[in-house]
Amino acid sequence: MEDVLHLFRGQHWRLSAGRAAYWEEERALVIADLHVGKSAHFRKAGIAVPANIVQDDLYRLQQLITKYDPLRVIVVGDMFHSEANNEVQYFKIWRRQFPHIRFELITGNHDIMAPEIYEQLEIVSQPFLQLGDIYFVHDLKDQPQPLNGQYVFSGHIHPGVWMVGFGRQKLRLPCFYFGGEGAVLPAFSAFTGMYSVEPEASSTVFVIAERKIFRV
Amino acid sequence: MKNTPGWQAIEQWLAAKELKPFVFQEEAWEHYLHGRSGLVNAPTGFGKTFSLFLGTVIRWINENPDYRSKSVNGLQLLWVTPLRALAKDIGRAMEEALHELKVPWKVGIRSGDTATSVREQQKKQMPEVLIITPESIHILMAQKEYAKRFATLNTVVVDEWHELLGSKRGVMVELGLSRLRGLRPGLQVWGISATIGNLHEALEVLMGKPSPAHVIVKAEVKKAIEVHCILPDEIEKYPWAGHMGLKLRHKVLPVIQQSNTTLLFTNTRGQSEIWYHQILKECPELAGAMALHHGSIDAELRIWVEEALHTGTLKLVVCTSSLDLGVDFRPVDTVIQVGSPKGVARFLQRAGRSGHRPDAVSNIWFLPTHSLELVEAAALKDAMKQNLIESRMPVVLAYDVLLQYLMTLGVSDGFNAKEIWAEVQGTFCYRDMTTEEWQWVLAFLTTGGDALQSYDEFRKLHLVGDTYHCVSRQQAMRHRLHIGTIVSDAMLKVRYMTGGFIGLIEEYFISRLSPGDSFRLSGQNLEFVMIKDMTVLVRKSKSKKSIVPSWNGGRMPLSANLGMMLRRKFHEAMAGTAKEEEVTILQPLFDLQQLLSHIPREDELLMEQIETKDGYHLFVYPFEGRLVHEVMAMLLAWRISQQHPITFSIAMNDYGFELLSDQPIPVDDTNAQELFSLDNLNIDLQSSVNATEMARRKFRDIAVIAGLVFQGFPGQHKANRHLQSSASLLFKVFEDYDAQNILVRQSFNEAFFYQMEEARLRETLARISKDRIVITFPQRLTPFCFPIKVDSLREEMTSEKLEDRIKKMILWQ
Repeated sequence: MEDVLHLFRGQHWRLSAGRAAYWEEERALVIADLHVGKSAHFRKAGIAVPANIVQDDLYRLQQLITKYDPLRVIVVGDMFHSEANNEVQYFKIWRRQFPHIRFELITGNHDIMAPEIYEQLEIVSQPFLQLGDIYFVHDLKDQPQPLNGQYVFSGHIHPGVWMVGFGRQKLRLPCFYFGGEGAVLPAFSAFTGMYSVEPEASSTVFVIAERKIFRV
Repeated sequence: MKNTPGWQAIEQWLAAKELKPFVFQEEAWEHYLHGRSGLVNAPTGFGKTFSLFLGTVIRWINENPDYRSKSVNGLQLLWVTPLRALAKDIGRAMEEALHELKVPWKVGIRSGDTATSVREQQKKQMPEVLIITPESIHILMAQKEYAKRFATLNTVVVDEWHELLGSKRGVMVELGLSRLRGLRPGLQVWGISATIGNLHEALEVLMGKPSPAHVIVKAEVKKAIEVHCILPDEIEKYPWAGHMGLKLRHKVLPVIQQSNTTLLFTNTRGQSEIWYHQILKECPELAGAMALHHGSIDAELRIWVEEALHTGTLKLVVCTSSLDLGVDFRPVDTVIQVGSPKGVARFLQRAGRSGHRPDAVSNIWFLPTHSLELVEAAALKDAMKQNLIESRMPVVLAYDVLLQYLMTLGVSDGFNAKEIWAEVQGTFCYRDMTTEEWQWVLAFLTTGGDALQSYDEFRKLHLVGDTYHCVSRQQAMRHRLHIGTIVSDAMLKVRYMTGGFIGLIEEYFISRLSPGDSFRLSGQNLEFVMIKDMTVLVRKSKSKKSIVPSWNGGRMPLSANLGMMLRRKFHEAMAGTAKEEEVTILQPLFDLQQLLSHIPREDELLMEQIETKDGYHLFVYPFEGRLVHEVMAMLLAWRISQQHPITFSIAMNDYGFELLSDQPIPVDDTNAQELFSLDNLNIDLQSSVNATEMARRKFRDIAVIAGLVFQGFPGQHKANRHLQSSASLLFKVFEDYDAQNILVRQSFNEAFFYQMEEARLRETLARISKDRIVITFPQRLTPFCFPIKVDSLREEMTSEKLEDRIKKMILWQ
């Protein structure tokens, strides 16, 4: 998985085609919308879903952790899809590989499990997080007013953009979106849809094309 | 036979009305009284109902001299109809006849609309005649001791068999008949069908096994149909592309005004909404005398429209295929068809909606929505003259319907596998099914198959002794609620804030609207307020601008028969032998086409290479309908892209297709012929067409019919997007873990057969291999290519790397 270096507000951000951002100065890996337990949630409703989705997602996260060696993993919301189910148990075992890494969850609309479960999973959960002048929150709409010079990092909408070319060509790709109000990270889980963003002129957009990432 | 008391009674009864039986009716009675089964081929409005119904009455009178005092005789005749709306009218006609003949039979109706109290009554005592839908036959069979109800049955008539034949509802009829024949070995089965290309096959499907004793009775009545074409005044100014046809509405209005009652057919629901609105705007005096009728309009309102059509209080109804079928609307004397009807049979059927009396003339006006469509009018006229009516291909090996049927038997009295297998094998649909497949089906119902065996939900049947039963009451209840093969689309109800139901709208359309947006439904201008409990709440809108929803579906491809006639008409236009006004009026357009490019002869295939600011276009015109064009375009694009990396955007219509690229397309005289080659077709198709995606889409309905996906209890509708994802996930599970799954195989078969029209594609390629390919390089867009180029629905085919493509693109904003 390739990445690109994005110098932003004097900080070094490595944006990975693995749908994660690594903040070098803070040694923090930032992801959004992991949705652990989504397929188990479907199965409980009597709908057969392949079980290996969560394995694939967590394997990718494992590769990213190995590559960047972060001290903390910040999840900007929707880490878990629903209630505690056997995929959450799978996560618990997976989590034991990285006892030294702090997992921080900025709670999103899907994160509805009881607080003691997060404790058992050794996840610190909170509605927002301030780190330097970055403000992490799940939904960009929930940013503080006024911002006081802070910049927001969010998830929630699973952003994608359209690319167009000569010969009426069109493509929609997941992206990192750096807009005037804040940044939106792509959904980490592969088992998610995409929402088309209409980019503002001043924005910076990085699109993910399979294992590569491009600034456009 | 004519001397029998029954026959005499009927003749006298008719004579009292100064009528006498049609020849074909007498013929049908004769065959029926000899105990034969068969098919009656007659157009509506010629007493086809009586050709069979009265046969059963004649025999009853013959066999029961004391018939006037014999009531409560048990079920004698099962009358299967595809349409609930038809049941009432047929029932009324039968009751009237029985009353006048003093036969104390009762006529009952059993459909989704039948009240619970009536159903209970029927349970205790079946009427002598039961009018029923295919689904309701199965619902009856899903009840305990169902066999008792059919204990006295001796005749089944399947009305409008041509409508059921090509669908899975037809398969439901086949399976229902197989069980009824098992219960009543001497059962006589008759079908009634309009003329179709494969009438003999239709008979065979109904009978299951061929036998010389099966007969086809044809009504030799020629229906006079007059086709009028609405011609633009100045052909030069009539648009080259379009599908709305509103420009010619000023010519339609006088036709409507001079007619008693008019049906105006459009091809899509959205189009009907727009036409309704426009006519009302221009003829406000029609308010109250005109109505809208399509599949998304409230059922009650539709019934009201149908009844008003009967009584003749309506001057105009703007409608879609929702009024193709159905009862006779006697007051209707004019039909207007806007745009291509796509097939000869449909055009005839619509024409037949006017002038319903045997001696009346059917008047149909054809309104072209763009210039070239005028040629279709000429093609239709010729096709009608030559009786080139399309066939309806029967559905075969519909495993999903079989799974549902076995479950139906499982929830009632259970079934013996050996007995039912023999019956199922006796049907047309399943005659090629193997024993292994049958074993698989049984295993799937009892264990869930290889992929689902860990889920209790999918273990539906249990073998008790030698019969298979469903032991779960909850599963039995779920199943009874979901008998049928019509899978509903993701539709939401639309209701006023203040109450009052307006109609149905697709979830997809509403999801793109924001509160405050205006849209049009059921002829009303509505403002979207919010979605609550799966209902779209709206209020009346004063906005001048409103969006007309596009409902999915309704994109029928041009039929092969009509396509062939079209090629011939172009040939004639080119040779200057065309005499029809519709064709000669187009001469300026043909001259331009010939000047810029070429008009293909019947044995030529035209390709045009044009460069515009959009890129490099390649247009091809096989005239084989959009489905074949879609697959052919993909095939061609793939074969070209194998030579070097290139990306295409693809568009098509019923006449041809377009490949568009950002680089010149390497097609010329030297390689054109081999691009259409039949060699390696299977391999190339698999690589080019996303058959898996097509199959996945087909699988959705299959999963619902087979009972793998539960659609929710009535009232607590499951969000359809949820349903979609579960069906596609199931598909993936089966593909990964249960390679033998025959439902997956069925979805691929359906994709190849219905979506890709594979057989027709092969025939087309074979034809092209004998054709002369003409490639032209016009300096600007031609009349032929224009309608394709402006089509916005596009697909893609690429052999370039994703990153290479992105590097050439810019962000859309």
